Amino acid sequence: MCEPFNYSLILHEHWFLDQLEGCVAMSKRLSEKDGFRIVETSPIPKKAVMINGLPDVGLVGLLAASHIISSLKLEEVGSLESDLLPPMIVLHGGIPKSPVRIFAGESLVVVISETVIPVSLLRPLANDLVEWAQSNSTELVLSLGGMAVANRQDIDAPKVFAAISERKLESRLNGAAEVLEEGYIVGAYGLLLRRCAEASVPAITLLTQSYYNYPDPVAAGASLNAVNRILGLSIDVSELLRRGEEIRLRSKDMMHRTQEELAKMNKAHEYDLPPLYG
Amino acid sequence: MESVASPETSLYHSSGWNVAAACIEPLHNIMVAATEVVLTIDLPYVDQKQVKLRCPANDILEVYADTTRKITFRELGAKHRHGEFTCYHARIRIPVPVDESRINKHFKRGVLEVHLPRLR
Repeated sequence: MCEPFNYSLILHEHWFLDQLEGCVAMSKRLSEKDGFRIVETSPIPKKAVMINGLPDVGLVGLLAASHIISSLKLEEVGSLESDLLPPMIVLHGGIPKSPVRIFAGESLVVVISETVIPVSLLRPLANDLVEWAQSNSTELVLSLGGMAVANRQDIDAPKVFAAISERKLESRLNGAAEVLEEGYIVGAYGLLLRRCAEASVPAITLLTQSYYNYPDPVAAGASLNAVNRILGLSIDVSELLRRGEEIRLRSKDMMHRTQEELAKMNKAHEYDLPPLYG
Repeated sequence: MESVASPETSLYHSSGWNVAAACIEPLHNIMVAATEVVLTIDLPYVDQKQVKLRCPANDILEVYADTTRKITFRELGAKHRHGEFTCYHARIRIPVPVDESRINKHFKRGVLEVHLPRLR
């Protein structure tokens, strides 16, 4: 026998199910509730731009978002918690922290993850982040990621592409990125973009040409230059480029773990030809 | 692709850090194309003159590269760990037969690219 999680709700919804089916349905219901808790430790700015820097191809988003946080001296304002994340914490300044944290300034919120988000949690993450963005009347969700290219070594200035949740955002790009018209986006950013489109939350995903499984500070710099242009900021990327070798080495292990998760989510699907029909 | 276990495996930390040999295992990638196998290896802090390749067996490529300077855990932010490294070392299994006598390499932006023609 299983005890109902929410007795009245379960009975109401599964009135005609027998006991076994009721238990299966209930466990499913419980698992659906196992998403992320967003813990706010300081007030979150309303109508802000939300930047996402999750571990991805070339760690472009993570490196770029880290640089934004340090350059603009953003304050830590919260974290994302989930019992389904790997059992780990990160120590910063000797204090235990969640590996998925939220930083904010006057009109900017940055979500950054210092751990690879398991594939099974990507959908709850996208849903919960968009719901939270809506509750804060977020003006724009701007996700930063990489787009692996085979000849990355031969590219001096990585090009930035943008996937947008609605057509009118094209003008918002201010020439910083070329709009992707067709293709696949695999992973958290694809799900986020789709969820934003459904919820009418304006969203842009910037994908910068990068190495697939090597940390790419140069690509992160190119991504930041696009962010500067879109948001009218002037974040200096010279320090990021100067410390390029150190950053590549420091993030080697993170890249290795990210690569394993990218393989699980079939990231290579992104390099398939676009669908035949729009 | 898998790296080949070496006798020193037990000395490796999870980050591929061989304390005894002061070596670290670099990130690498392998692509098998119709006519060749293309390997890339990420080698920050390396000068291309320091890169050495050898094939100890038909299906293994070994890469050695000294770093331009000694690098410690501490400077990479791990104050609780002691150790340093001065070279990269990787033994990479080649999944298909190749002609190692026609190996071709180039080094750009700190990434080594190795081309090995496939045997027909």
